[in-house]
Amino acid sequence: MEKFQGNPVSNGIAVGEVYKYVPYQAVVEEATVGAEEVKAEIAKFDAAKAGAQKELEAIRANLEKNDPEKAKIFSAHLEILNDPALDDGVREKIEDDNFAVKWAIEKTFTKFIKMLSRVKDDLIRERIPDMQDVKGRLLRNCDGVAEVNLAALTKPVIVVAHDLFPSDTASLNRAMVKAIVTEVGGATSHTAIIARSYEIPALLGVTGAMDILKDDQVVAVDAVDGELVTDPDAETVAFYEEKARKNAIHVAETKKYLGVTPVTKDGVRIEVELNIASGSVQELENAKYTDGVGLFRSEFLYMGRTELPTEEEQVTIYKKVLTEYGDRPVILRTMDIGGDKKLDCMELPVEENPFLGNRAVRLSFTYPEIFKTQLRAALRAAVAGNLWVMFPMIGSMDDIRKAKGYVEECRQELAAEGVPYGEIKIGIMVEIPSIAMIADIAAKEVDFCSIGTNDLTQYSTAVDRMNPAVSKYYQTYHPALFRLIGHVVKSFNEAGKEVSVCGEMGGDKLAAAVLMGLGMRRLSMGASGLAQTKKMITHVTIPQVEEMARTVVNLPTAGDVEAYLKEALADVL
Amino acid sequence: MVKKATVIKNKTGLHARPASDFVQAASKFESKIKIRRVDDEDEEADAKSIIFLLSLGLCQGEEVEIIAKGEDEQEAVDTLIALIDSGFGETEE
Repeated sequence: MEKFQGNPVSNGIAVGEVYKYVPYQAVVEEATVGAEEVKAEIAKFDAAKAGAQKELEAIRANLEKNDPEKAKIFSAHLEILNDPALDDGVREKIEDDNFAVKWAIEKTFTKFIKMLSRVKDDLIRERIPDMQDVKGRLLRNCDGVAEVNLAALTKPVIVVAHDLFPSDTASLNRAMVKAIVTEVGGATSHTAIIARSYEIPALLGVTGAMDILKDDQVVAVDAVDGELVTDPDAETVAFYEEKARKNAIHVAETKKYLGVTPVTKDGVRIEVELNIASGSVQELENAKYTDGVGLFRSEFLYMGRTELPTEEEQVTIYKKVLTEYGDRPVILRTMDIGGDKKLDCMELPVEENPFLGNRAVRLSFTYPEIFKTQLRAALRAAVAGNLWVMFPMIGSMDDIRKAKGYVEECRQELAAEGVPYGEIKIGIMVEIPSIAMIADIAAKEVDFCSIGTNDLTQYSTAVDRMNPAVSKYYQTYHPALFRLIGHVVKSFNEAGKEVSVCGEMGGDKLAAAVLMGLGMRRLSMGASGLAQTKKMITHVTIPQVEEMARTVVNLPTAGDVEAYLKEALADVL
Repeated sequence: MVKKATVIKNKTGLHARPASDFVQAASKFESKIKIRRVDDEDEEADAKSIIFLLSLGLCQGEEVEIIAKGEDEQEAVDTLIALIDSGFGETEE
């Protein structure tokens, strides 16, 4: 048994036998012809082109009936085949340089592929496989060989290939392909798109897969966590079969509820927001299913690099997220460094007790220049959307006033420089019990707050959440936490200020119901919690969750709370 | 020869489907048509070649010029400018 890593681009898990797919590879050698043969070579090119045209039109016509999306890929191939610049290029090489037809095709395509590979845009570079596919089709037609593809599989297998071209996958028989593994390819490649549309698990970028794997060898493909296991033993097979079963249920649920509007049975709209880290394309795919960004963990912009992110860089990233969300709010948490998050671009002293140390906004106060760079970037980006700025690790009114002072300073600087900036809302993260206790006072000083339940739990229960020796004392369902959260929610609701939750609890379907019962109407969570939380919301009424909240705050232990919630929500989940 | 400039309005620029639409529209004309990026480097491409057009990588907000030469040059320029100005049917957000 050996394990290999890959890039999971299409969700799923499968165990099966390897089928190594090697498409027809035309042999192309540098070759020229005599002047008298030029005409014949041109005729060969015309014939190959006509043959390719016929094949492509047939595939496209076949797909248009039941899969118009995939038919478009072949329209793009026809477009390339008929590109006048390519056509001229091949003809010139035959006529002027006396190249043999295959050599002329090879050289011309290579030149154009090189040209495209220099374009910075990923989407354009992803067109290169299309060009290679068309080139291969032309060369094969020059050899007079018929097309081979994945339509001919007779038993269900795991298809392993160096790369799959659209032509290989378009005709594949879904029932015969358990999973796809390739040595190259990214998340936006054709293989990835096709695999997702067929719902075939796909693991791309498995280096050396064609050398490592043998035909008929049994492998487990885990395209959830990005792993491939060769020759799994019975125990491992059972593990993956169970994981596959659970995953299938999860995927089906997700699909059903991801797109629904989160309204309770008695008609109360709950805002479901997304937690993001870097604002990547994958993260923003969920923008359409969410009412805003409840937590933009900006510290990820500072991590894994040797230089601090510049103001311009931050403006660009913040604007990208703001633009994607339009009028919907985006809550940007200023950098939360320290504690469990270390930096390469900033040397920080090692502390005895980092979670109780100089972290988050405290660190920002220590390095005001870095803090102000971020605040300036946020203010400038705010012209692009609805930006709310939130300070982490606020423990007192002094902290709030100090942070707001820096915002004002940045505003004045930008105004003096004549740099345009936008309006922002200012809020705090409630994760230290001291500020939670005086939430009624804090609510007067800020526009909103968001409850960070992970740290609030850690600080309330006095448990270092990184220390496994005390993990059993870290009790998310501790009744004290629900009392504390209830106080914060009530205080902010009474002050007419927005309150949300962005810790793990927001995406925990049991706890989220209680939070709603405590008066919370905004829940933010990671993408994986969206569907199940939306499902819970649409199955409860407000009086029902209020009753649950009243019960929970009077139960004696976390264990009692969990048992009660599981029973109370059994019908819903 | 006829030429006219405009600014690309749609969000995705001349990539993907808009690029295909553009090439298809250009190919209907007899004239030789070029599309040029109006900047310091003055890069231009055959408007009927999808590959050349893609390799220009034209984005939203960039100024381009359409240059046509041939019998239907006026109509070609007018049609292609109108197509770019229409935003290729992409809705504003």
